[in-house]
Amino acid sequence: MLNVMLTGVGGQGTVLAAKVLAQAAQSRGWQVRTAETIGMAQRGGSVISHVRMGNLGEEVHSPLLSLGSADLVIAFEPGEAARVLPYLAPGGVLVCASTAIQPVTAALSTQAYAADDVIAGIRKALDGTGARLVVVDDEALIAQVGNRKALNTVLLGSALATGCLPLSAEDIKAALAACVKPRFIELNLAALDAALGA
Amino acid sequence: MTTKLLMGNEAFAHAALEAGVRVVAGYPGTPSSELVETVAKLHAEGCAQGVHVEWSTNEKAALELLAGASYAGARTLFTCKQVGLNVASDALMSLNYIGTGGGMVLFVADDPGPISSQTEQDTRRFASFAKVPVLDPATPEQGFAMMQAAFELSERYGTPVIVRPTTRVCHASTFIDVADSTVARPVPEEGFQKDPKWVIFPRRAFQAHGEINGRLPKIAHDFATDPLFAQFNPVFEGGSSREMPSVGIVAGGISAAYAREALAMIERKAAEAGLKLPAYRLMQVGTPYPFPVEAAKKFAHGLDAVLVLEELDSVLEDEMLKVAGQFGIDALDEVDLGGDYSGFLTCKVLGRYTGHARDRGENTVDDIALRLVRLFGEVWNGRFESHMTDEAYEAYRAAWEPERGDEADADFERPFDKWNLAQRRIEDFVATFEAAEAPAVFADLQASLPTRPPVLCAGCPHRGSFYAVKRALGKQPAVLCGDIGCYTLGNAQPLDAVDTCLCMGAGITMAQGFAVAEPHKKQVAFVGDSTFFASGLTGVANAVYNGHDITVVVLDNATTAMTGSQPHPGTGVTLMGPRRKPIDIAAVLAALGVECIERANPLDLEECTTAAKRAIDFEGPSALILVSPCIQLVKPEPAICVDAETCTGCKKCITEIGCPAIGFDRAARGPRSKDRGQVFVDASLCNGCGLCTQVCPFGSLVKGVQNA
Repeated sequence: MLNVMLTGVGGQGTVLAAKVLAQAAQSRGWQVRTAETIGMAQRGGSVISHVRMGNLGEEVHSPLLSLGSADLVIAFEPGEAARVLPYLAPGGVLVCASTAIQPVTAALSTQAYAADDVIAGIRKALDGTGARLVVVDDEALIAQVGNRKALNTVLLGSALATGCLPLSAEDIKAALAACVKPRFIELNLAALDAALGA
Repeated sequence: MTTKLLMGNEAFAHAALEAGVRVVAGYPGTPSSELVETVAKLHAEGCAQGVHVEWSTNEKAALELLAGASYAGARTLFTCKQVGLNVASDALMSLNYIGTGGGMVLFVADDPGPISSQTEQDTRRFASFAKVPVLDPATPEQGFAMMQAAFELSERYGTPVIVRPTTRVCHASTFIDVADSTVARPVPEEGFQKDPKWVIFPRRAFQAHGEINGRLPKIAHDFATDPLFAQFNPVFEGGSSREMPSVGIVAGGISAAYAREALAMIERKAAEAGLKLPAYRLMQVGTPYPFPVEAAKKFAHGLDAVLVLEELDSVLEDEMLKVAGQFGIDALDEVDLGGDYSGFLTCKVLGRYTGHARDRGENTVDDIALRLVRLFGEVWNGRFESHMTDEAYEAYRAAWEPERGDEADADFERPFDKWNLAQRRIEDFVATFEAAEAPAVFADLQASLPTRPPVLCAGCPHRGSFYAVKRALGKQPAVLCGDIGCYTLGNAQPLDAVDTCLCMGAGITMAQGFAVAEPHKKQVAFVGDSTFFASGLTGVANAVYNGHDITVVVLDNATTAMTGSQPHPGTGVTLMGPRRKPIDIAAVLAALGVECIERANPLDLEECTTAAKRAIDFEGPSALILVSPCIQLVKPEPAICVDAETCTGCKKCITEIGCPAIGFDRAARGPRSKDRGQVFVDASLCNGCGLCTQVCPFGSLVKGVQNA
């Protein structure tokens, strides 16, 4: 069983990334279930997408991950990464964008909210758990691609580059072609290549 | 046929179209909205021929429209969220007495948690109250099959049928085979047949009640025995194959999927610990009402205990208690003591009433696993010996052997027998689930983070509306009644502009109650444009008729935003294609007799505040229509820029309007901000609405230029 959790702030595009993974899994003949956060939370709140793939032929019953079961967490925002750590499996991989989005609650209060602090906190929390943290300089990669809408594909590419997904770049490219509107395919393929360093 | 990744709601739409549905109508509401949208999309693409699909003004309008179509012989589908059925309940209660013509399915989505709703009401309970059959899917693909079976059931008995998924089924996706195109089943040529039975009178109602009471047991029998429906009440067996199961699990909806996942997890971990699970049985009840008693009785036979897992109400638990009571030990009085006892049940029913299940909110795989392990622990405690593999026993024995001679441990470890080993191993195993909490360091990190609740989007016109109305009120005492929609988020700090929210349309009428009870205060009711048409009109008529001094603020953003931008009567856009003349909100208010109707742009702070003052100062019912499209519908303007030379770091822009695109950088420095820090605008979020530029007293927030 391969469990992937995608988390971020409503509007960042976790849903599409989950779809692409599901499509890639299907092309490998794996059973797959996904679940989305739809509704009020999409308005700038914390959102989570779940992707569960029976890559060893297992039957997938629940669309939601259980605690401590995520082989891979792709976080679109550091604070959201910190919130879902209990889902990360021992030895799992956390791929985390380095750009923070300050919540209104932080702007209103005197509470500090800086990406570096949050990432340092995550690093400390994961110390000794066997989990691997990969921080992605999303700003640099987005600058290279030229469109922030491609953040989801950039992070998907970064996750792929860690080698923790038993999927190939070709699998993801074919899935992108099936999931993305034709006029955005080129942008997304470029984003994937940028993240893979190709 | 094509295999597609479909969200539950999309799968339900495909299933209904493949069943030949002719008329689809509903009102948007999370988690139900995507069904109608999918039908409309397939219709627009030419893949769904012959179907009529619409967003009706509200749920009651939709269901009554469908009743007419059904009487004429069309297959019909109604959609709403759980609280939407409250709005349509008047129609539903009587409709079940009248009966249907063409198959009628009500798709009603429940929302355990609740995640996006006002209540945790249970539509299975509503179904039994209305005496209407209900189907409850565990997965999108099962829902697909249920939707088709529901049309069959409806036509077999002339009854409306409810299909009620929950959020985690509606918004879960999986790959499903669907037809590439569908054609709606034509309405029979004879159409509507005039008959006294269509007119409800008390005498007819008495007769109809008898018909309902007659068909429900037949339907319950079908649910237990007819493969078309009995497939929705599957039984799975697991655990040790060397004994008869002594425990069972009855689960409904997504809890059945969670239970199967949890059982697989426990089985795996038990094997690792050298334990065999006791034999068990699991039944999913996919047809909760009328309850398939025959199937449940067969399932429970021979079991000592049945654990019931469900969300929202204790519907299955009540039914299992009924079955246990009806066929259990109490019924023994009825038989000759020398007679045959084999048909009797002796099982305990465990669930919420016994503290064995969560009493509200969502279930999870983790929580269900814990409860199942505790149950298995109880079984093990009674009959442990057969549950330890021989290898495990030998390994344990070997590990403890050296301590056998240790006199100090004598009381505790001796006699060192198999019982002691097994007992310890079982306790350890259960304890691993009891202690499966996340490390404290994770919790500490979480606690150190600011929360991220949903907020009005950057550039949302509602922000300007709330801010202007509060400015117009100044220090006057006032109650601000809110309503259902994105604008409920206006209650958050710093806007703090929504004091009440009850149900669709309630704000307008509640304000009138406040006006009667507290005449010295100003009463303002905010209502969205879609909500205004759905259920605001009667409230306005009441205010005019009874002369209540309230101000109705219509937030006209040209869409139903919260549920994903659906059109409504004020937009003129229809799902069938043709555009109708939009119904003009001001004209409606004027026709209802509102004499003071102001209109303004909420993103123009001065204009909006002045208009709000006029409306609020007016004695008697007044209206303020604030017109600006939802930010999701328009192309954004260039992002606002912060002038570091003039920003003083006073934070007024943050503390007054709380826009998510404006943050505070304590490290930023400028000539006028000294070491306070300065605000910054997140250009990836800012839509350039310009409200903040009107709030900043120093002109430090400036409109950006194109391509900047």
